[in-house]
Amino acid sequence: MTTPGLILREILHRKTNFLLSVLAVTVAVALFISFFTAGVASQRETARLMLQMGYNLHIVPEGTDRSEFLLTGLTDKTMPQQYLEKLATPSVFSYNHLLGTLQRRISWQGFEVVLAGLAPEVCPPGQKQPPMVEPIPQGTAYVGYIIADRLKLKAGQIIEIAGKQLKIVRCLFEQGGVDDIRIQCHLKDAQEILNLPGRISEIQAVDCICFIDTNDPVSILRKEVASILPDVQVVQAMPIAMARAKQRQMIQGVFAVIVPFVVIVCGIWIGVLAAVNVRDRYQEIGIMRALGYGSGKITTLFLGKAVIVGLLGAFIGFLVGTYLALHFGPEIFKMTAKTVMKPQLSLLAWSLIFAPLFAAVTSFIPAMIAVAYDPAVALRQE
Amino acid sequence: MVRLDKVVKTYQTRRGICKALDEVTLSIEKGRFVLICGPSGSGKTTLLMTIAAMLRPSSGIVSIEGQNLYAQTAQARARFRAHNIGFVFQEFALVPYLNVVENILLAGGNYLQRGRLAVAGTATDHAYELIEKFGLADRIYHKPCQLSAGEKQRTAIARALLNRPKIILADEPTGNLDADNTAAVLRYLAEFHRQGGTVILATHGPAAKDFADRVVYLRNGKIQRP
Repeated sequence: MTTPGLILREILHRKTNFLLSVLAVTVAVALFISFFTAGVASQRETARLMLQMGYNLHIVPEGTDRSEFLLTGLTDKTMPQQYLEKLATPSVFSYNHLLGTLQRRISWQGFEVVLAGLAPEVCPPGQKQPPMVEPIPQGTAYVGYIIADRLKLKAGQIIEIAGKQLKIVRCLFEQGGVDDIRIQCHLKDAQEILNLPGRISEIQAVDCICFIDTNDPVSILRKEVASILPDVQVVQAMPIAMARAKQRQMIQGVFAVIVPFVVIVCGIWIGVLAAVNVRDRYQEIGIMRALGYGSGKITTLFLGKAVIVGLLGAFIGFLVGTYLALHFGPEIFKMTAKTVMKPQLSLLAWSLIFAPLFAAVTSFIPAMIAVAYDPAVALRQE
Repeated sequence: MVRLDKVVKTYQTRRGICKALDEVTLSIEKGRFVLICGPSGSGKTTLLMTIAAMLRPSSGIVSIEGQNLYAQTAQARARFRAHNIGFVFQEFALVPYLNVVENILLAGGNYLQRGRLAVAGTATDHAYELIEKFGLADRIYHKPCQLSAGEKQRTAIARALLNRPKIILADEPTGNLDADNTAAVLRYLAEFHRQGGTVILATHGPAAKDFADRVVYLRNGKIQRP
């Protein structure tokens, strides 16, 4: 009898033990695959949800009075609009969703409002993502709640600011913030109204620094920006940034705990089944030892079976895990699942490498116990 | 050929140390049919296992053809067993998931392991010869659970003979058999003996006495004078 022949015969004889072992590997691999596949969507989904908290990075011209900016959220300095394109270079990876704005406090219709011109959002090449802020077409405006309420403005009406006519496309709901006294329009319209062609006062962005393990993210951001735009200042809205980072780290932490837990439980499961298998095969091992089979061959019989268990479990686990992720993922991760959740064949390859290894490692101790049996003692067991 | 010199085998039990073999000194010449007799618990199986290089004695020397068995590595002893010793057990000791021919060829696993296909072929041919000889031709693909006790023991004897061993060690081989099958098994062992093989048979029954040319009595781990 060849060794593979003996292994296959034994598998067919003790089907329950084999199937339970395959099930253990299948569960471990399926959970790992589904968590990993869903994990990508989970991170994206979290990121998208956290984006709704707003931009957390403000890049303002060099001469900006920081105290004034923090008090009002405005700066009276400007910088070239080209800075926006410069910043959106492939070398920059720590921030995204670049929004160039030109904002000024102006008197209009008898009270103070903020005029904000918004350029269409820019993403660095290769990091294209849906915009956080809907682009405002030229010649149109969004009007804040307080302004609309006081002046009885409605969508469709035409307003005139410094001789520039803008059509109101939306009157915003009450926000409880400066947006309530803000008129938003296209950047070019604001530049025309304020007579500042080609200028912007601020670039807003979202930092992606929470992927990097650092205690001082602002320094990294400032260093990156300074390498491209030396004459600007970087202000980070720390609470928003921290909330984003913590939320993401929490999600990563959940996966970091659950996956090893499942792997350990399944490892113990396989080890116990392997030990039961050794116990069932006391006499058989004794017969083989009596017939002159060496330790190497006995070990091969047990570890060979473990490798078969691992390969089969890996393949089935990959199919089950992928199915679970693709089936239930879109229900959970409504915004991102369909775009980021796909079968990952690289995970199949890794599973086919690591699951047999994992099964072999967990079966190793029982295999060593089998090898260590005194054949005379084993033959007396019935 | 087989020599035991002051062999002691002790076991640690809850009640203290139990001496299974107590200074056993024994010589068995090549080509003898030796019966080891004695009541249950007298040390017969321990003696056979010790001779078979499967149970290291607590003290003393066991040698076969001048080789001190327990001075060798476990691997070397396993090789020695595979090439020189055939085993027959009371409980048949067949692998439950292998059929008759596979169980017999299990003893040839070491040939296949070495990749000596020509020898493997010889082992297969020999297995079929033994199957024919022991009347198992119509049971080739039956598993142990589908065989009678006599058929199981014949399969076990065929397996013991596959590697053309020099010695057959049989531990109560007829203990579970009826009279006809007992006679058949003893005939097969006697035939092996006639062809020059050495048979060491442990039993507590009288049936094998007619076949043996020497009887050794064991009691409480010691050899007794008849």
